[in-house]
Amino acid sequence: MAVTDIRPAAPGATSLGSDRGRIWKSLRRNPLGLAGGILLALVVLVALLAPLLAPYDPAQVHFATPFQKPGTVGFLLGTDDLGRDIFSRLVFGIRSSLEVGVLAVLLSVLIGTPLGLLAGYWKWLDAIISRLNDVTLAFPFLIIAVGLVAISGPSLGNAAVAIGIAHIPAMIRIIRGETLRIKESDFVIGARTMDASGGRIIFQHILPNTASSLIVQATVIMPAAVIGEAVLSFLGLGIQPPAPSLGIMLSDAQQYLFRSPTAAIVPGLGIAAICLAFNLFGDALRDAMDPAATSRKK
Amino acid sequence: MRLPIRLPGLPDGTLSRAKGAAVGGTLAALALAMTACAPIQPLPEAVAHNDVTSAPIGNQKAADGGDLVMALSAEPDRLDPTTSSSLYTRYVMQTMCQKLYDIDAQGKIVPQLATKLPEVSNNGLTVTIQVRDDAVFADGTKFDAEAVRATLDRDLTMKGSARKSELGPISGIAALNPTTVQISYKKPFAPLTAALADRAGMILSPTAVAAAGDSFGDHPVCVGPFKFKQRIPQTSIQVERDPLYYDAKNVHLDTVTYRIMTDSNIRTANLRSGDVQVADSIAPQDVDALSKERGIGVLQVGSLGYQGLTINLGNTNGVGKPPGDLNTPLAKNAAIRQALSMSIDRKALVSTLFNNWYEPACSPVAPSSPFSSDASQTCPAYDPAKAKQMLTDAGVQVPFPIRVQVTNSPDSLRYAQALQASAADGGFALTIAPVEYSTLLDVQSHGSFEALLLGWSGRVDPHGNMYNFLATGGGNNYSGYSNPAVDKLLTDASATTDQAARAALYGKAVQQVQADDPVIYLYRIHSLTAYSTRVAGIETFADGVVHLSNAAFVKK
Amino acid sequence: MIRYLSTRLWHSAITLALASVVIFIGIRQLPGDPAIAMAGEEASPEQLDAIRSKLGLDQPLPVQYFSFIGRLLQGDLGKSTRTGTPVTDLLAGTLPVTLWLAAYAIVVAVVAGVLLGVVAERYRGRWPEWISNGFALIGLSVPSFWLGLLAILYLAVNLGWFPASGYVDVGTNPVRGLYYLTLPALILGTGLAAVILRQTRASMIETMSTDYVRTARAKGLGGGRILFRYGLRNSLIVVVTIVGLQLGGLISGAVVTERIFALPGFGKLTLDSVFTRDYPVIQAVVLVITVGYILINLAVDILYSVINPRIRVGSN
Repeated sequence: MAVTDIRPAAPGATSLGSDRGRIWKSLRRNPLGLAGGILLALVVLVALLAPLLAPYDPAQVHFATPFQKPGTVGFLLGTDDLGRDIFSRLVFGIRSSLEVGVLAVLLSVLIGTPLGLLAGYWKWLDAIISRLNDVTLAFPFLIIAVGLVAISGPSLGNAAVAIGIAHIPAMIRIIRGETLRIKESDFVIGARTMDASGGRIIFQHILPNTASSLIVQATVIMPAAVIGEAVLSFLGLGIQPPAPSLGIMLSDAQQYLFRSPTAAIVPGLGIAAICLAFNLFGDALRDAMDPAATSRKK
Repeated sequence: MRLPIRLPGLPDGTLSRAKGAAVGGTLAALALAMTACAPIQPLPEAVAHNDVTSAPIGNQKAADGGDLVMALSAEPDRLDPTTSSSLYTRYVMQTMCQKLYDIDAQGKIVPQLATKLPEVSNNGLTVTIQVRDDAVFADGTKFDAEAVRATLDRDLTMKGSARKSELGPISGIAALNPTTVQISYKKPFAPLTAALADRAGMILSPTAVAAAGDSFGDHPVCVGPFKFKQRIPQTSIQVERDPLYYDAKNVHLDTVTYRIMTDSNIRTANLRSGDVQVADSIAPQDVDALSKERGIGVLQVGSLGYQGLTINLGNTNGVGKPPGDLNTPLAKNAAIRQALSMSIDRKALVSTLFNNWYEPACSPVAPSSPFSSDASQTCPAYDPAKAKQMLTDAGVQVPFPIRVQVTNSPDSLRYAQALQASAADGGFALTIAPVEYSTLLDVQSHGSFEALLLGWSGRVDPHGNMYNFLATGGGNNYSGYSNPAVDKLLTDASATTDQAARAALYGKAVQQVQADDPVIYLYRIHSLTAYSTRVAGIETFADGVVHLSNAAFVKK
Repeated sequence: MIRYLSTRLWHSAITLALASVVIFIGIRQLPGDPAIAMAGEEASPEQLDAIRSKLGLDQPLPVQYFSFIGRLLQGDLGKSTRTGTPVTDLLAGTLPVTLWLAAYAIVVAVVAGVLLGVVAERYRGRWPEWISNGFALIGLSVPSFWLGLLAILYLAVNLGWFPASGYVDVGTNPVRGLYYLTLPALILGTGLAAVILRQTRASMIETMSTDYVRTARAKGLGGGRILFRYGLRNSLIVVVTIVGLQLGGLISGAVVTERIFALPGFGKLTLDSVFTRDYPVIQAVVLVITVGYILINLAVDILYSVINPRIRVGSN
């Protein structure tokens, strides 16, 4: 779906390195951001420790005990239509949903950043890259996703690639905007007068200074990717079964929504929790990096 | 996938403490769910479900008029009986295009536009059909033997006809008089009657065909209780009462609207909310709850088709081409395939997945078919230990890996995952590769698969469920299977007119097929149709088609 | 301004031309034969060949492309390979559904978003703000199709307040039509409402703390009048811009909403056409989305440059 989160750097946004201390301080003073951070840490911890937390293999089928209610002995959150333990699937589902998110972020960063830097630094490249960017943006995300899945079948990787591609244009625009801004700053102009090459300026001066926008954008892509994975799974284009993902759990549960609503509610809450964590944390991070906005609010 | 946007120069709204509360609430709800303790609920005993094929009007008073809305689970293709290849087209055509023959509740073929069953000459080469003299097409054209001849001729000669192979080796068709049609064959062909009880038997108005030609399907004109009114692509098809119909006094509704709803639980939801009165292909997991509800009834009848695992034995050049050599253990060694069939707990699978609303299947001949026999209903015993032993004896890697391609619909994914779990006990490691339906059809014809899970909707005559799939070079022989013994049995069966003799031949063929396992038959669905008790007169028979011709709203 | 406009138009034309080639070649790379998809499970080889030659699929790609462009320029988008309906009829049938849905969702989102945003600003630190912020969080963090399923389960089936599906043309029967669209529009509008809410609140806070508002207040102007004269007016500009930007996303969000509520809209057409490899329909659908996207972007850019002339300089 269209990616419209094109958010150039907030006015007065600062580089990460010089203000790390201040950002950290501001984050600590923001209770909501802290809550987001804790929830985020929790979610990541669950994902990392999934094999230790889950009492069962998430794909293990128990033919004799489908549709157990939450709170059943041995099955904390009950079982699904194939008698699989919903708690184990939730834990591993959070893990794969985060994997999709991380892969999507990596892809959009790895492709979006260089293109954004090039477009921002060299005007003649800007024309080409921006046109291509327009074409990509104009393509509906779902068509790209369906195409990819049709060619190589549903898998975690393909879902991540489709979502990642959808976020590249926004990434390019943000990095391009940042580059345009930083290019005009005194230290870059200074470096240029000292005959530094374009490549050198980009790597030494501009790239490190785009880091904060990159991180903020990552907190935007992550929840979008988690929801995106759920949408793809809902349409049958998600992760390869029997691997669990929150989206697959949701779309499975939708088949027997009337019989066992909990099986649909649990993954839905899982998705909400992840998105909430990133949204809260991202908001706090943005506030911390934008002292002007924070002061305005006081 | 909508994302928050922030505009340049605008600060982002901070969110207050409420966020914290929301987080807390979510966690609390989860924690609450975890503290309760309840014993495991065992799976309820398997219940046998008897066929319920009709909701008769009976003593209820039928109201005249009204628009009955039926939720249809897939969109029909073009409404042209000659070219149609979608099962769902039959649902819609049933109300407006009557056939020479139809099937009844027992699965027996009965006359519809014909007046009696066809007379076959002693050598089996001439078939004579008597047709009605009181029927009129919806456009006023008189129905007669000549119209039948013209339609069958169109089925045989039209480019893109899907009926040609169903009609067999015809050498000539003639209208002897207004009520008699004679069909001549080069070789005897027993499956004809069954074909005439399907789309090949739908007779088209010659006037409409002459006027519309290939685009007949945009506005079909036939003999039927209803006639075509309008189609909104991807959305709905509506038919209205035809005053010219020969039995118009038994038609009650003004219009029937078929509304397309592809998601099963959305069909169910609409039935519950009263937005539709009839819905097809109800999910088995919803049926138990639905049938207990007041105001909702469920019809169910076993399908004549099957769901199965097709294994690629020799499909190297595409379907219909001579089989090639795949040179894999799975393709070469029948013992491995037998072991796979043996390691599938068909009973447990249908009971867990489908609440026993579907039944295990081991053969392409449905038990409800008049051609069923003990021989065609035998099943390999479920024996994972023996299966593992057979794999070891075959000297192959255990667990033995097989890549199974399935459609990405939730139902087939569920089954595939259960199949995977079951086969694992027998020493098989199945990988599930979901692909889109369109891709799977492509993969199936090109032979780029190891094994794939797909079903067949079923035909009244077993020929339509076996010959094309199992005979060497058959049009649907996706496995690339070739066994001269099976070829002979199937060919002989189609040229034999005696029912018992044919049943015996099909029984023998099934036993050979089970030894070779080009297709491992898994289960047979039941057509589950739910209806609101505000309407009556709905029927569904073994071909799965829902009949609404005589349905009516009930007077309170 | 004129120079800026002509550059933008020129860019749009290039984007469109590039997109048409990409669409055309792209969909033909998909596995899955439209002839097989069309003929279904029973297809015979002769039937497939007949279909292919009828669709022109046996022609070389460039020939197919230029005949497609040629017909396109005459306003002929071809016929659906699946149902034989002219593609223009399909578009004419489905686009209004989605546009009504989107328009309704926008109205819902703007009314709810602005109202809650204003409430949040006026009652800072008190319970109305918590409710409003809680809503914003849910709107942003919960997948809309999940909300849709719950809505069908509880609002349509259990309570029977709304129909669970179906569509009545709003043009011919506005009351019934809007009633049928209410639940889908609520679901589709939730996310947008959350975004608008946050922006409205932020912009209100910013405006209300500016010097001129303080001056107005010092002059004794009532709270209500300040709210309308300064606060709302400023945030409306923000809202208009957000809606413009989100329109594209809204249309594709409609794909899922339409599927859940079985609405015969453009989103459903898109999905069905891709799944059945209905080339002429896919081409047309993607083209419509591309043109729509370009037009919206153009409008938003122009709107921007009207609001804030500095942006024009930045975009070169």
